[in-house]
Amino acid sequence: MLLELRAIEKRFGGVRALKAGNLNVEAGEVHLLMGENGAGKSTLMKIVAGLIQRDGGEMIWKGQPVNFQRPADASAMGIAMVHQESLLAPHLTIAENIFLGRELQSGFGLVNRKKMFEVAARLIEEHHFPLKAEWPVQRLSPAGKQLVEICRAIHCGSSLLIFDEPTSSLSDSETDEVFKIVRTLRDRKMGVIYITHRLDELRAVGDRVTVLRDGETVHTEPMAGITTDQIIHYMVGREVSSIYHREPVAPGEEMLAVKNLSSGKLLKKISFNLRAGEIVGLGGLIGAGRTELCRALFGVDPIDSGEVIVRGKPVQIRSPREAVAAGMALIPEDRGKAGLARELPIAFNVTMASMDDVSKMGILDKPAENEKTKGAITRLRIKCENGTQLAGRLSGGNQQKVVISKWLARGANIFLFDEPTRGIDVGAKVEVFEVMDELARSGAAILMVSSEMPELLQVADRILVMRQGKITGELPGGCTQQEIMRLAAFQTVTEELQ
Amino acid sequence: MIQRLLPFLTLILLFVGLSIGSPHFLTSTNLSSVVRQTAVINIMALGMTLVIITSGIDLSVGAILAMGGIAGTMTLEHGAPIFVGVLAGIGAGLFWGFVNGFLITRLKIAPFIVTLGTLGIIRGLTLISTNGLPVHQIPQGFSYLGEGSLLFVPFVLWLLLGCALAMHVVLEHTKLGRYAFAIGSNPEAAYYAGIPVAFHTTAVYAICGMLTGLAGMIEASRLMTGQPTAGQGYELQAIAAVVIGGGSLRGGEGSVLGTLVGAFIMGLLSNGSDLLGVSPYVQQAIIGAVIILAVTVDELRKRKAV
Repeated sequence: MLLELRAIEKRFGGVRALKAGNLNVEAGEVHLLMGENGAGKSTLMKIVAGLIQRDGGEMIWKGQPVNFQRPADASAMGIAMVHQESLLAPHLTIAENIFLGRELQSGFGLVNRKKMFEVAARLIEEHHFPLKAEWPVQRLSPAGKQLVEICRAIHCGSSLLIFDEPTSSLSDSETDEVFKIVRTLRDRKMGVIYITHRLDELRAVGDRVTVLRDGETVHTEPMAGITTDQIIHYMVGREVSSIYHREPVAPGEEMLAVKNLSSGKLLKKISFNLRAGEIVGLGGLIGAGRTELCRALFGVDPIDSGEVIVRGKPVQIRSPREAVAAGMALIPEDRGKAGLARELPIAFNVTMASMDDVSKMGILDKPAENEKTKGAITRLRIKCENGTQLAGRLSGGNQQKVVISKWLARGANIFLFDEPTRGIDVGAKVEVFEVMDELARSGAAILMVSSEMPELLQVADRILVMRQGKITGELPGGCTQQEIMRLAAFQTVTEELQ
Repeated sequence: MIQRLLPFLTLILLFVGLSIGSPHFLTSTNLSSVVRQTAVINIMALGMTLVIITSGIDLSVGAILAMGGIAGTMTLEHGAPIFVGVLAGIGAGLFWGFVNGFLITRLKIAPFIVTLGTLGIIRGLTLISTNGLPVHQIPQGFSYLGEGSLLFVPFVLWLLLGCALAMHVVLEHTKLGRYAFAIGSNPEAAYYAGIPVAFHTTAVYAICGMLTGLAGMIEASRLMTGQPTAGQGYELQAIAAVVIGGGSLRGGEGSVLGTLVGAFIMGLLSNGSDLLGVSPYVQQAIIGAVIILAVTVDELRKRKAV
């Protein structure tokens, strides 16, 4: 037994990210670690790699109990991790990155560059990687960067290599490349832990699978003995709390129609429509392209081809300004980054997108602005002293309401909510849902991106599911989590035929 | 609250302290000379306030001041009426401010870099157009702008108050001012809200240039020459005034009152040092320390608040 994790616990503030993480990894096996977004996979692996420290449980490495205080402790023991987001120094060369932190010395504290490049070149040669030691890392593709991280891991003589969703940003051929490497590592009797959402493509390399759910290990079994449906069943057995239930309204006119929209590298031929009074859920795994779809529709990223039709009229949306003019509103995934001006008063935020309504010839009409702000505070039940309070001082839920109020003030009627409940507590979530419901009832059309499947089931009238930049299917509001997960994570029969 | 008032208290304390410490301080000659000296930096600092609120910076204002002064005095040299000359100076400032804004928004290069570049370009062009020589042939009446008095008060004080009031209105009561705060506080949110960010950013730099052009004419009037080397290092004094007055280089913060107080604190420090016989070398060190102190106090206040 290479690694054994027993009942690992981890808290972040009040949130229990891990309750009972159990995992056994043998030398010479590829162990898949699966689970929904937020199941605790990455947290568990960060504990193994020494990036964070556990709050409870036992970690046994090659028969000895261990305690890693920092990543260096783990790598000294032979544990290496290839991260989802590359942790390389982009301006340095591949060789320099492979040796980062353990440079070869040539006496007098000088770095022996020649030797480092030689060793790196040999390493790359040995594995037939399409790399050159002297290339700067910033010019590499995501796959190339991962190969560099793998080189780093192999070079320090690791006996366990952890991959955190390595293929989520890779193309098909790059994915094949990574798989090939994973198999080689296994043949050399290394242990490999492979975190993924995409089981379909991994049956070929995975030997065993462990499923995490809500911070607990729920099942471990050899891949040979388990069906895809069984894995889905273990992954999504989360309870749907009945905190909120929405009564759907009869949908009205078509507010937005998207036909064959393609954008960037990810989005391919997306078609769907939104009608007045509807809340349409958009499910999928992280990296499926949901945020990118919102950005493209809102004019942040360019649309390469396809049509966008707003209330029956084709429109060209090349900037957020044009999207706003067409009646669209985006409540972004990251509130602090693109939604809220934290250091400014609530009133400034409320009227930010509708200045023309509260000004004449460039001069502000303060009474009108106050009126508008008061209206928004009352309508959305924003808990604050008054409109002059700084927006950043409010609670997460109330901040979100301020972002929404900006679009209410503007009179938007097509809302793109990207993860609207992220980082806000349960009570505030219900309030956000109520606001969305009220918007829909007053005739708006809503697209709601959420990684929380129970949320989609509670709020959405119908659910679109994306996978790798495509819409893989549409489900009615009363569907099950299994059905969503199947569309989100697995290749459909028709896709396989293509 | 006390910390927010600290710049005001410092100003009052300086004033009272100097009144007691030097018999020459509280005389009309000295006070009006403080006002005249401070007005130039102060008017530039008003424009700088607007720029800094958008989380930008303008390092070229010293050069624009010289360019404005030269453009105006050369126009006067050719026999133009005084108000035409003044307008020429303001116009030159407006033009170069616009160029700054245009480069920043079109080339999407950091304001620090763009204005560092235009600082060199504008100063160079000013020296080329004058051959490095000052412009002297100026009608006597022009001295009124910088040295004249109206209702027993230096004329520049009226100008300063007018500009300050106008800037206050811009910041607090116009769409432009509101957008400046929004862009400085969260540029991405401003862009997502459909605000024409490039247009308003350009306007902000143009206004800063325009005020600097006016300051350049005041400076020229006080010296009664157009100096191609005028205004060197003024950009840092203008930035310091904004920062002492509570403006944040991270954007989204700044006020006209704060900047006025900041500029007068620096004016009094320098005047007081002269009166008390403190060497100009020590003066520089004191002003430097005050800048760091003011920002530290402001940072502490904000950290406590959040």
